[in-house]
Amino acid sequence: MTDKHKITLSGPEVKFDCATDDTILRAGLRVGLGLAYECNVGACGSCKFDLIEGEVEDLFPGATGIRPKEREKGKRLACQCRPLSDCKIKIRTGDEFVSKYRPQPRSARLAKKIKLTHDMVEFTFETDVPAEFINGQYAMLSCDAMPQQRAYSMSNSPNSKGVWQFIIRKVPGGMFTQYLFENAMIGDQFMIDAPYGIAHLNTASDRQIVGIAGGSGLAPVLSIMQGATEKREKFGKPVMLYGARTSRDIPSHPEIDFYNNREFEFTPIVSDRESAAVNGWSGDVGFVHEFIERKLHGALNEYEFYLAGPPPMIEAAVRLLMVEHKIPSNQIHFDRFF
Amino acid sequence: MASLELCNASDVDPGTSKLVELDDYPPLAVFNVDGEYFVINDTCSHGDASLCDGEIEDGEVSCPWHNAKFCIKTGKALTFPAVEAQKSYETSIVDGKIVIDI
Repeated sequence: MTDKHKITLSGPEVKFDCATDDTILRAGLRVGLGLAYECNVGACGSCKFDLIEGEVEDLFPGATGIRPKEREKGKRLACQCRPLSDCKIKIRTGDEFVSKYRPQPRSARLAKKIKLTHDMVEFTFETDVPAEFINGQYAMLSCDAMPQQRAYSMSNSPNSKGVWQFIIRKVPGGMFTQYLFENAMIGDQFMIDAPYGIAHLNTASDRQIVGIAGGSGLAPVLSIMQGATEKREKFGKPVMLYGARTSRDIPSHPEIDFYNNREFEFTPIVSDRESAAVNGWSGDVGFVHEFIERKLHGALNEYEFYLAGPPPMIEAAVRLLMVEHKIPSNQIHFDRFF
Repeated sequence: MASLELCNASDVDPGTSKLVELDDYPPLAVFNVDGEYFVINDTCSHGDASLCDGEIEDGEVSCPWHNAKFCIKTGKALTFPAVEAQKSYETSIVDGKIVIDI
């Protein structure tokens, strides 16, 4: 019984060790390889690989990121496979997938909970080591009490104090989220395995930054906004469009006061017309993508777009930007958790 | 309008595709759907994947990288993350060869 197995990539031969309790994807990223991926949770299909030799344990046989026909041909998802023996695999790689900070697990304490809306809470964790990530990236959170891990985007900026913040929305049926909301106590121990994600702030571009968020997509876009304001002389004043169902879904708390924020332009848009009328909402009403052109003063191809939120919102916005306005895909950033 | 000869029709079995790479043209994907031939650009409009590596089912091809589906006949993008169509070409068989208008 060994505690690790050797994974060999076909093509230009590369070998790396994968612990028996780690996934092939994460083990590869941990040693600095650019294995293709996006979501880490079996949904996007980007980390598909061909198993050429060896045996793996599939943690999520019902994952939507891979079709049954592909499984029959020996394809698997690297984010959902642990090695049971040494393996030889064929997987797509690219420089864009190489993490600036190699992901690693670290223990964390839950330090603070702040209620932002009726169903959104900001959770603050602390680690003894610096919080190293790029604005817009996410972490895999776990704890002893829960069998599964969950991906959450950081909502703050990287820092040397080891502070990790996540704005999380309580969703029906979300086991880990429910645990965080109802059972997790201040001081509890968690593991933060991070950083992951490729839809992070791109500092190679100096275009003005636009964040488009809906629901719990607030967290990564807020992180991007903070990263952009820290380099304001380079990016100009960033603009954030936030789509909420009702005005009750817009965060409001003295510590996170979007309306009086002078660092970036915050535009909330409420989609539920009836509630808008009942609540006396005087702001914009509609779907967030309908306001992209109206709220931006320049030509759309002058901006860099960062998106996070419900799949229909992302799809509508990307369709508008790419099909109608011919914005190149490298100016549009999002991690597909669907 | 010029014609471009791609390959022998007999090289592409029903339910399969063939990648044709010629100088000065984008990579082209030749499909045989139940005996009818169609040609679209091979490189996915979303990423850089080759659609000839994708699964073919019910006249649609799925991108091997991100699962976006395209209509083989028209090139239309059917599912996210692809939103832009693949360029499609008028295709005919001339003396057993697959020929497109270009």
